[in-house]
Amino acid sequence: MPSARRLWDRYRSASPITIALLALVLGLVVGAVIIIATTPAILNAWRGTFHSWGAPGHALKVTFDNVGAAYRSIFTGSIVDPPQFWHSVTTGRGWTASLTPLSETLTYAVPLVIASIAVGITFQTGLFNIGANGQAILGGIAGVAVATLVHLPMALHLPLTLLAGIAGGVVGGAIPGLLKAYTGAHEVIVTLMFNYVASYFMLFTLLSTPLQLPNQTNAISRTMPGGTQLAPLFGTSSGLRVNYGIVVALAVTLFAIWLLDRSSIGFEFRMTGANPHAARASGINARRTLVISFLISGGLAGLAGVAWVAGTTHYIDQNFLQGSAGIGFTAITVALLGRNRPIGIVWGSLLFAALEVGGSNMQANTGIPYDLATVIQSAIVIFVATPVLVKEIFRLRALRAESVKVATAGWGS
Amino acid sequence: MRRINRLGALLGAGALVLGTVTIGVATTVSVASAAGKFKACVVTDTGGINDHSFNASAWAGLQNAAKQDKNITASYLSSTSSASYTPNINKFISQGCGIIVTVGFLMDGATATAANAHPNQKFAIVDDVPNAPKSHGLLALTYDTNQDAFLGGYVAAAMSKTGVVATYGGADIPPVTIYMDGFVAGVRYYDQHMHKHVKVLGWTPSAGNRAKGQFNGKGTFVGNFTDQTAGKTITSGFFADGADIVFPVAGGVGLGSVAAAQQTGKKHSIMWVDSDGCFAEKADCAYFIGSVTKGVTTSVQNAVLAAAKGTFKPGSYVGTLANGGVQFYFDSPTVPASLKATVQTLTKGIESGTISVDPTKYPVG
Repeated sequence: MPSARRLWDRYRSASPITIALLALVLGLVVGAVIIIATTPAILNAWRGTFHSWGAPGHALKVTFDNVGAAYRSIFTGSIVDPPQFWHSVTTGRGWTASLTPLSETLTYAVPLVIASIAVGITFQTGLFNIGANGQAILGGIAGVAVATLVHLPMALHLPLTLLAGIAGGVVGGAIPGLLKAYTGAHEVIVTLMFNYVASYFMLFTLLSTPLQLPNQTNAISRTMPGGTQLAPLFGTSSGLRVNYGIVVALAVTLFAIWLLDRSSIGFEFRMTGANPHAARASGINARRTLVISFLISGGLAGLAGVAWVAGTTHYIDQNFLQGSAGIGFTAITVALLGRNRPIGIVWGSLLFAALEVGGSNMQANTGIPYDLATVIQSAIVIFVATPVLVKEIFRLRALRAESVKVATAGWGS
Repeated sequence: MRRINRLGALLGAGALVLGTVTIGVATTVSVASAAGKFKACVVTDTGGINDHSFNASAWAGLQNAAKQDKNITASYLSSTSSASYTPNINKFISQGCGIIVTVGFLMDGATATAANAHPNQKFAIVDDVPNAPKSHGLLALTYDTNQDAFLGGYVAAAMSKTGVVATYGGADIPPVTIYMDGFVAGVRYYDQHMHKHVKVLGWTPSAGNRAKGQFNGKGTFVGNFTDQTAGKTITSGFFADGADIVFPVAGGVGLGSVAAAQQTGKKHSIMWVDSDGCFAEKADCAYFIGSVTKGVTTSVQNAVLAAAKGTFKPGSYVGTLANGGVQFYFDSPTVPASLKATVQTLTKGIESGTISVDPTKYPVG
């Protein structure tokens, strides 16, 4: 079997995909350990093994039942519940319930893909946009403002809403970009702090006329009219939230592939990222490259914000992209996971979205807190960011230099 | 060979874990097997069940109900963002929950939509009155917390040695400002009747239709209910301005106020909010002078028990001093008996309506 041998060799030689998949396995192992250590039923079963013979079998069974139930819930809640799906196939009924998990995963993945690509583009330029969340918030505000305060026919209104979102993000990206280019202010500090500026600016707009919902003292915006929403793919009556944001995310992915691999400005991005001194010596305008990278990144982050609100809630409130829902922060880890490449980011976003959606299902079914999904996400990123660790654990053959370049090279530079 | 073995063992471990995820093995989950038949479910806001605030209180109400009635199983779902309210509520509807409790104004829209779409599903929502005309099963739980906050303001004014007290909020929203409003009313009432000049920092009420739930004014707000560092900074600022008792209306952020009081020794005190501080935050009891509480736990518990027994009544419930839905607790042993007696008299006055809790009715002290 020469082909099997070749596959085995490929596995042994640590390709980035192997590392990512093994990181997923390790992340699930970490999650399983935490489930075992924190579930009373499992601990009680093992305590019982000290008192009677034959109990280890029982304890093992309880352990596998609980861990299995948790991971099965993540799977059935985010991708497909096979019995339910089979029921739909045989009877033709209950399609909404069968397709909801996948629909939810795709719904959550849309803004994550766009925001992660935004972050990835600056990473490729050797810059760190930690402010994608703030830029997404500005994009969301601008989009909701244009959608609710301007009256236009739908054919114009929806594109203009999305453009407003991009514009909001561009403003958010331009400030740190220009500050870095002309004053040397470190973009990590500036972008990080601008997240707070954006959050408080949002609170201000949500509590002031004209954006605040009329006759309301709470921090909540007006609702975007139907013509400015990203409509559900299968119609409102389908009960599935998956929406035309998917088209937007696909377009952004194609744009990013073109930008990074085909365009001359993308080449300048990557060259500056690889070695800024060499790039400058060969005639690349560092200042211009830096600013353009930030403008594009900010614009895409803004688009992520408006795509999220236009595809799901259609209004924003004080919780918009706050705390653990801060898509712009998750985007940093997804970009890392996808090694800043558009296709890698799409897979990373789907994985993170599935863990997020499946995590809620796990909490509803088994009572294991949703936060476990976050732990698994974080563990995966740690393992991906330290390929040497994965290589050591699985005894993989030496990493080929070009295949696994540490995705974080240049941090802190 | 050794390498291969270790690799094999690790792969085996991974395979075992993955194996348990085997698709389509539709066995019942052993975790919930011993539970009762009536499912009581709460969809929390993004604060989650450990927010030291109304989400925690609502979840405690479900747990108490489950303890009291063995037929009830309690479960919860934390919302990760406002976009997950609707899917979370729908998940519980499809799981056949007997009653679904939602928490807070931000879930108003999602709850109203779900209640309209499922007219016979029982819902209870804390701190909000949604408009769901098609529903036959929606109970709105609200609380006149300006009544017990009035008592808190009076006690703070009476206990202050510096003649300055302060309050701040998590966000400028009615369920928060109603507390601050009542607090200021209590201080002003104290000033008027005792001929004192105790000042309040952090909230200046203005005119507004308080009967319609408008508690307008200008004040100090954190902007969220999670940033304890901000709570500490704000509180230290109040201390610097001379305040010696601070009333944080910001859920868990209030723990930042406690941290600020700890730094200055025993010179400053905190008035706790939502729950009895000496019960909910036992470790910090020494810093609490009193607690302005809101009976979320009790009212949610009663709604769940009623739903399980089949005696659930939709409509609205308003917690007041008179029905025990809001209560003021003394936490500090230094409060003199005479002040406690005065508070009892004030309570009767508020219950009967002879004492107004509207701060704009009193002169600024």
